Amino acid sequence: MVSRLIDESERLKTILDRLNEKSIEDYYNPYRVFEWPDELPAEMWWMTPELTTTYGTPIADELPAERLHALSRHESVNFYSLNVHGIRELLIEVTKRIHTADFRTPSEFFHHFIGEENEHMWFFAEFCLRYGGKIYTQPRGGAETIPPNNAESLLVFCRILIFEELVDHFNSKMALDRNLHETIRQVNRIHHQDESRHIAFGRELVSVLFEDFRKTATEEEITQVSDYLKRYMSFSFESLYSPQVYRDAGIENPLEFRRRLLNDPRRKEFEQQVFRKTFSFLTKTGLLGDRDLSAFSASN
Amino acid sequence: MPETPTTAFDEVTAWILAKNPERESVGADEDLVENRLVDSLSFVEFIFTIEQAADTEIPMDTLDLDDLRTLNSIRKAFFDGRTPVTG
Repeated sequence: MVSRLIDESERLKTILDRLNEKSIEDYYNPYRVFEWPDELPAEMWWMTPELTTTYGTPIADELPAERLHALSRHESVNFYSLNVHGIRELLIEVTKRIHTADFRTPSEFFHHFIGEENEHMWFFAEFCLRYGGKIYTQPRGGAETIPPNNAESLLVFCRILIFEELVDHFNSKMALDRNLHETIRQVNRIHHQDESRHIAFGRELVSVLFEDFRKTATEEEITQVSDYLKRYMSFSFESLYSPQVYRDAGIENPLEFRRRLLNDPRRKEFEQQVFRKTFSFLTKTGLLGDRDLSAFSASN
Repeated sequence: MPETPTTAFDEVTAWILAKNPERESVGADEDLVENRLVDSLSFVEFIFTIEQAADTEIPMDTLDLDDLRTLNSIRKAFFDGRTPVTG
């Protein structure tokens, strides 16, 4: 079924060929390419300030620079930890599908995808363990509502795409931020290069799968898919606001701190920035009717 | 029967009630997920509240979700047999 849809899309097949070639051309050895200093200086930003959860809120004005630096350090380790867990989930889903009848055509691309994601997971984990001493754990969530039966692959590839686009917003900005340490910029730059291919594929596949789903879906089923995606987006975004991070950065009441940040007007602005491209794509295809996630926030 | 850290455990109940202002109480064996008192969006806070109250770190990789289903299962999994934090 999925295989027929992919085979009928000349555009997707052309893109797959181009992305396969690009993966081979851009191939690098991650185990040699990085320089890992023994330590990174504590007294500096580890994330671009605009990408931290306190930026633009009254809380940021209340805290001294050292505390903001410490927060950026722990938030960055949390961000790379989210990458580790997100990659594990997407590797499981793609591995389940490679060389099955439904995914015969993109299987060559899946080999590049799985290989590259495995390497991303390694360098993110390496960063967390070297400079944070741990990988933050993450409860799974945001995807427990029951979607329509025939939407499984559509939702899996939507989740992968949303996760990749969220991460890429951070990577693309931090890769260019001259105030960050070169190792931090390098991790973000290299990830951004590979992810642009994965996002290009994800958008094409999701478009094809949704076009087909929409042919027979009822209005109610389309709303179920839309609610499911919004819930997942909200959960993913709020994972950036980690109480464990706030505790480790020496914040006295981490839950209260988190609630203040999630209820601050800046949160909505930040959410819209992070998902700007994702919203554009999802509303253009018709997967979402609008850009409002407020009904799906834990701060309600 | 080991002594239960009443006050610390009450923080878990208080968190659930604060999240669900329409409720005045939560039954000890009431299913928190089925009755929508806790959902995945509030899971991050819920886990952290238990961690703080029980003064422990919950390993997400090996976590049995059934341990979080009711107040009684939470008490049994994370509080019973521990030294009371307060109370």
